[in-house]
Amino acid sequence: MSELMSARDLGGRPVVTLGGEAVARVKDTVFDGPAGRVAGFTLNGRGLLAGPLKQSLPWSAVHSLGRDAVMILSRGVLAEPAAVIARGEAAHGRVLGARVLTDGGTEVGTVLDLVVEAGISGRVVGFRIAARQSLESGSKRRRRKVYVPRGETLAVSGQALVIPADATRFVADDLAGFAAQVEAFRLREADRTEPTP
Amino acid sequence: MTLFSEIRGLPVVTLGEANELGVVRSLTIDVVSGLVGQVRLSPTRGRKEMAIDWSALHVIGPDAVLVRSGAVLDTAPPPAPVEILGVRVLTEDGDERGTVRDIAFDAVTGRVEKMCTALGDIPGDRLVGLGDYALVVRTG
Repeated sequence: MSELMSARDLGGRPVVTLGGEAVARVKDTVFDGPAGRVAGFTLNGRGLLAGPLKQSLPWSAVHSLGRDAVMILSRGVLAEPAAVIARGEAAHGRVLGARVLTDGGTEVGTVLDLVVEAGISGRVVGFRIAARQSLESGSKRRRRKVYVPRGETLAVSGQALVIPADATRFVADDLAGFAAQVEAFRLREADRTEPTP
Repeated sequence: MTLFSEIRGLPVVTLGEANELGVVRSLTIDVVSGLVGQVRLSPTRGRKEMAIDWSALHVIGPDAVLVRSGAVLDTAPPPAPVEILGVRVLTEDGDERGTVRDIAFDAVTGRVEKMCTALGDIPGDRLVGLGDYALVVRTG
């Protein structure tokens, strides 16, 4: 499985062509909530102090999302801001801070950040949430920040996300541990949906 | 196989007239062919900065680089200078792989054999692009 990245950490990451030219920096990551994917990126100019660009990067034009750069074929793939923003409008800004409910009706916390798979998939694999007490059986701490997988049956509205109750059994404290949990949860979901012969 | 670090600073001299044109400062690489494109010289004695096509070189010797007489010297200021040594290496996946410490090339054909980095050598045929931000390589 590909490496996982916090969407918040993508801000400022350089956008580099395969020809080795840096053409922009990531400003914001725009999400396509219903699809559970990154819709694209809004961009700033190259310098650290440069302002917003009148261009955006749709996910379809991303060659690869890497640890140190977002790779694109050439400057020509950048598009109008509307190409990205329109697609992400339904979810952008509303995912962060949204309440997370299980399909059993329990509120488990609020979304702090999204976790994206590196590479070419653009998949949102889970969320970093400020967890409520109900999530941490046996823990003495009142509130903590944990990563929770999103599952395939994600429902998103303006105010809340609904995730499978099972997902709350696959939380992790850090991104490194989260990769294994996402994989374990994915296998479990696959087991349940495929009838065994 | 010759390392760029071995020829950097060598005097560049014309074969017929023994004129010293300057010293080797950097190389340009043609990414498509995988060959050294030009040798760029630091100016000496009031000469302009210039670049010499690889095809105009007579020999790369241990103490000097000899240029064929009558070779056309490109004195136009080269576009966007790219200093290869020290440039960051990115895979096409977007992961950094250190910086270029040296370039090894075939002194006869000019073929780039490998890029040397602190994290190991990268074969020349993995080269994808070279720009002002990074040298981009195929993931091995």
